[in-house]
Amino acid sequence: MSVGYVAVQWNRHKRVYDACVIGGILLYVGVFFSVGKALFAPPHAISDEILAIRALGTCAFLLLHVILCIGPLARLNRRFLPLLYNRRHLGVATFCVALAHAALIIGYYHGFGVVNPFVSLLTSNTNYSSLAAFPFELLGLIALAIMFLMAATSHDFWLKLFGAPAWKRLHMLVYVAYALLVAHVALGILQTQRAPWLAALVGAGVVVVASLHIAAGLRETRFDATASPLDGDDGDWVDVADVGELRENSGHVAVLGAGRRVALFRVNGRVYATTNTCAHQGGPLGEGRVIDGCVTCPWHGWQYRAHDGQSPPPFSEKIPTYRARIVGSRVQINAKALPPGTPVEPAVISEHADG
Amino acid sequence: MAESPKATSPLGRDEFYVGYLPVPTRLRRFLWRITPTLLVLLAGIAWILASAQRDPGAGIWNDAEAKTFVGVIDASPYPLIRVTDEAGEAVTYLLVEVGKFGGGQRAAPFAGKAVRLSGWVLERDGRRMIELEPGDTIHAAEDVRDAERFAPPRRETLGERTLRGEIVDSKCYLGAMKPGDGKTHKQCATLCIAGGIPPTFVTRDEAGRRAYYLMTNRDGGPFDERILPLVADQVEMRGSVERRGDLLIIRTDADTIRRY
Ligand code: FES
Repeated sequence: MSVGYVAVQWNRHKRVYDACVIGGILLYVGVFFSVGKALFAPPHAISDEILAIRALGTCAFLLLHVILCIGPLARLNRRFLPLLYNRRHLGVATFCVALAHAALIIGYYHGFGVVNPFVSLLTSNTNYSSLAAFPFELLGLIALAIMFLMAATSHDFWLKLFGAPAWKRLHMLVYVAYALLVAHVALGILQTQRAPWLAALVGAGVVVVASLHIAAGLRETRFDATASPLDGDDGDWVDVADVGELRENSGHVAVLGAGRRVALFRVNGRVYATTNTCAHQGGPLGEGRVIDGCVTCPWHGWQYRAHDGQSPPPFSEKIPTYRARIVGSRVQINAKALPPGTPVEPAVISEHADG
Repeated sequence: MAESPKATSPLGRDEFYVGYLPVPTRLRRFLWRITPTLLVLLAGIAWILASAQRDPGAGIWNDAEAKTFVGVIDASPYPLIRVTDEAGEAVTYLLVEVGKFGGGQRAAPFAGKAVRLSGWVLERDGRRMIELEPGDTIHAAEDVRDAERFAPPRRETLGERTLRGEIVDSKCYLGAMKPGDGKTHKQCATLCIAGGIPPTFVTRDEAGRRAYYLMTNRDGGPFDERILPLVADQVEMRGSVERRGDLLIIRTDADTIRRY
């Protein structure tokens, strides 16, 4: 958050997460390398460098699939939220694996020659018009540059500097990197190893990533379509929920229409409303909880006071609040957001309304 | 009102996860199950992909031990040395330097002469190459008297042929890199051939047997750089083929080579 930046705010969870990520990478690369060594014995041995290049390349590609799937998986099933919590470390680790893959290629395939390895990388193959001969290395290089940009700006310092929306847009480039890498694989190793089932495997990866995103997206769109604005003088007010749906200290997501969402919180028999969008990375606050009197985001745990949308000191983040009222047993929200950090009177739930 | 999107959670509604708080019990159990499963899955995928690699061929590179050879150097079209093996057969070794460089510079002054040189042997399918030991390692072999042992190779013209295969850099393909062919090796092969490693055209017959054709220009000289964009691709070429001792040579022109 905004109180002085440290490289990483460590906690036990992050340590366990990172240990699993690093352990997973070592396991993958180790198994790939050893199996490659064992199955291809001299004189049919595959060069160690090439084994390592392949182990690292496939590992990075696989990790990218995991990274891309975590988001929609966590939308579809909250049990995956712990994987989302520290996803940026997974991203940085993936970049490092990809960088090692690239460094080995540049040193091994492009070193020891008549020209500088980087010159060789960019000029050895300029068959841009042929699909079969296309310099697929270039696609990987651009993807690596994108991953570098993302890894380098993954810290909250940059998030704060760019603002969450711009930072998110920047990090959406991961999909461009993914598309480039699918092409990198299809025009590269799949040309060297023309096994149809390998191509099918890459295709299956694309299908899994795409269908999870579509499933999560559809669910969100359907939910957004349930807005029910009131007519007449009360045009600014939207009927959003029944009091009975709200549970003490729990969040509740409701729609205001036009793709906007509001988060409702019931605390001590009162209803507070804030934006559903966390100031950090846009996490769904309404899926969070109230902990120590603060709305707590389910993604990374940022907190805001329910009554004014401000992070408790020493933090200084602010989110928009909304006016709430209770009519009968229905909760209604004034769709005009109040400026971030504006204190609001909660709507008090009468015994009768609670039914 | 539609269900909120969070509804499918099997987590207890009161079990809320934030990284800095203790993990709720049921979620902890889920994580204890899913993490090892993911790790096993990861290892399994590594296993499958590692074993799916294709056989890189039986090229060998004896880079542990340098050997000494006595023979006659021929500098055209590419530097090579002809020696006589134990059985009395004339055997040709292409000569290259360490790294991605041909052996032309050091071999040229000795063209047509008997020499003693040392280097590391690369070999595949009976095709051979010596990676010259750096330094002053090629010497005129004054003591070679039996010039008959190094009689010039017999030439036999085999006529115009159209062949399909892949242009490889002979050093990697014979065993310096494994695999030393195919798309992923294309840029390396291009760099090698640009550096003077002799280009070789490798074809396969229906039974999968490989034939190696050293490539030269129509005039029999070393191939020009117009070959470079076509290296490592599946190509068809037309040229006149000849046998020179234990080597097959194809004289062709870059204009006759096309991807198929
Ligand atoms: S999105 Fe990161 S804490 Fe809310």
